[in-house]
Amino acid sequence: MAEEAAAPAAEFAPAEIEEFKESFGLFDRVGDSQVGYNQVADIMRALGMNPTNKAVVAILGNPSADDMANKRVNFEAFLPMLKQVDAMPKGTYDDYVEGLRVFDKEGNGTVMGAELRIVLSTLGEKMSEVEIDSLMTGQEDENGSVHYEAFVKHIMSV
Amino acid sequence: MQKEFPVFSVLNSALNTISAALLIQRWYRQHVARLEMRRRCTWNIFQSIEYAGEQDQIKLYNYFGFLMDHFTPASSERNLISHIFRKNEICLDTEWERYFCYKSIEVTKSYTGPHLMFPVTFCGVSKLVEAFKHKEQLHARYVLQLLGETWRLLRTFPNISHVIACHTKAITICGDLHGHLEDLLLIFYKNGLPSSDKPYVFNGDFVDRGKNSLEILLTLFGFLLVYPNDVHLNRGNHEDHIVNLRYGFTKEVLGKYRVHGKKILKLLQMIFSWLPLATVIDNKVLIVHGGISDTTDLDKIARVDRQKYASALRPPKMKSDSYLESKTTETDLDEWKQVMDVLWSDPMPQNGCIPNEVRGRGCYWGPDVTEEVLRRNNLQLLIRSHECKQDGYEFCHNRRVITIFSASNYYEVGSNRGAFIRMGPDLVPHIIQYQASTTCRELTLRQSVGWTERSALQALREQLFVHRSDLISAFQEFDPNNKGMISVTHWASTTERVLNLGLPWRVLRPQLVSSTQHGMMDYQRWIKELSITEPKLEISDNSILDTMYKNHSNLETIFRIIDTDHSGLISFKEFHQTWELLRSHLKTEISAKAIADLAQSIDFNKDGSIDINEFLEAFRLVDISAHN
Repeated sequence: MAEEAAAPAAEFAPAEIEEFKESFGLFDRVGDSQVGYNQVADIMRALGMNPTNKAVVAILGNPSADDMANKRVNFEAFLPMLKQVDAMPKGTYDDYVEGLRVFDKEGNGTVMGAELRIVLSTLGEKMSEVEIDSLMTGQEDENGSVHYEAFVKHIMSV
Repeated sequence: MQKEFPVFSVLNSALNTISAALLIQRWYRQHVARLEMRRRCTWNIFQSIEYAGEQDQIKLYNYFGFLMDHFTPASSERNLISHIFRKNEICLDTEWERYFCYKSIEVTKSYTGPHLMFPVTFCGVSKLVEAFKHKEQLHARYVLQLLGETWRLLRTFPNISHVIACHTKAITICGDLHGHLEDLLLIFYKNGLPSSDKPYVFNGDFVDRGKNSLEILLTLFGFLLVYPNDVHLNRGNHEDHIVNLRYGFTKEVLGKYRVHGKKILKLLQMIFSWLPLATVIDNKVLIVHGGISDTTDLDKIARVDRQKYASALRPPKMKSDSYLESKTTETDLDEWKQVMDVLWSDPMPQNGCIPNEVRGRGCYWGPDVTEEVLRRNNLQLLIRSHECKQDGYEFCHNRRVITIFSASNYYEVGSNRGAFIRMGPDLVPHIIQYQASTTCRELTLRQSVGWTERSALQALREQLFVHRSDLISAFQEFDPNNKGMISVTHWASTTERVLNLGLPWRVLRPQLVSSTQHGMMDYQRWIKELSITEPKLEISDNSILDTMYKNHSNLETIFRIIDTDHSGLISFKEFHQTWELLRSHLKTEISAKAIADLAQSIDFNKDGSIDINEFLEAFRLVDISAHN
């Protein structure tokens, strides 16, 4: 895939920031207007970003496992982290299709579901079996093939 | 084009594969996080509407208390409600026996429901459960007989049930059931029926909200009578006849038993006040419905005269001469607090103990209070219920407190699972989860989130509709030139100010507002688009309509209080008095003529009396978008 240069960090509009703050509040289970380090990645994703876990850990300053479990961060400290992640390339429809085309051995618009499952569970930031099942439900045809353009349309339509 | 060496192309392909995997994984995790946020939003909506309703009810209670304390006995409003504060006139046991005598009630040949022989046996109760499964109804004679036996038994129980775990295999602890018979049946299916080998603790809130509260009670009481040493019932805050007026149990009983419903309710009122307040296993595990406070004292709780505290409505007042009265009242108030704290409190993450203003009774208690109360009483674990949890259970306070909730799909189909605890002699809790109804188990996570979300948004739209006049006036403050437009920011802050639900309005906006332009929205059109149907009757006075919408539950509560003979009908005069009571509580202006006109227009049967249920149905709000 082509490497995209990181876009310059754009400023969030005040209305956007208000909305982020509300969403941030939804994840505060303790009531101290903060969230745990181990929640930061998910909150960013809930706000429309899709960083890798590794990228988030780097942005958090490479905390120890103990820090990840116990340290908390407030919204003011969270916002600049969110900006950094926002500047990262997010992945377009074409990127996903290109990514899946890698597995299209016969060049016929399908990939083997089984192969996809193995890749997702062994490479990159591994997914669990439950996660993979949840992703692939209803996507494989009777031959166990996945028509990936339809698949991508499906996964992008939240 | 660069000449590619084989090793580069293999490496490139491997890198592509990993990049592709990462891309999909990143995307998937984003999808799950977004669903989780929607789920939390939905949960917040249900919970804040539920709590707003509870606060509303407490405000009504406090108003009644105010009336009792501040008006002369001759005042008409006080007269309407004073009977609910009066202790039961019938005091002697023999009088109760006569009042609840079932013997004169004949079971005719046309009755096709289950028969119950006394003394009850395991077989008899199992057959009863089967009958309930098939939607049969137990004859009023058997109901009264069963309840009478239950009352007699409960009076012999202490306030705190002590259970020894060592000699039995495992004890099962269930949380709120709230009339969800299908959940109780599911628990019995997964875990087995109660017996001396299979002891159970049911931790309160058996009734209200669901539609089979009575069947649940009859089932639990049946097993209690057969296995009095192995079935333990704790009282919940919904085992309270005043709470039942609002949350559906009173209505359920009167609907199912038109002739004997009133007697059944009265007997249940007594039974509820005789339910034990706590269960302790092996002197180590405390089980109460709500929780504790910093003043919780098990010895005090063991000594109170529990049947005095029939309702959370207000503390009892003792009649005595003026010198003793203050002393007696203080002890009474202290005892009342002990009971209220145990039935109504909720845990909080922060240390300390503060009054529970959301519920209006009980406290919010922190982890430090848990440690102290457990230590003081030599206990190791607190099991409580009272709060709906998405997974059916939740640990808190360093795993020293477990909340267990057994009514699945409490807010809506798919909203939450139910759970129960199995505990062996080692006192280690094992949690078993379930969810009633096969349809929701087959839904994907996304479908189930969507379903519950739609329902929550419906409920929210009703709340918005109910407050529309207040909303429009508030919006107009930001629209001095009357253009009909307001910024999204002002919309969010104003809506929160009017509704006071603590919800993330900006996050919800796309689901509630169809279109915005340059950060502005047309609020008049939005209100119109809320697509809630209005009642079919001709009501020219909009303010009375709005008051009715906003106070639907208060109206129902007041009606049922005024309807002292539980006939379901109230006279025009009583209807007028209801409005007077409500009007003085809300401090609003509603003309007597408007009320009279309303009464005329809703006299559906034209017989000079108003059917409570028909009245409430006519003004039930319907979200017509739900039918699309």
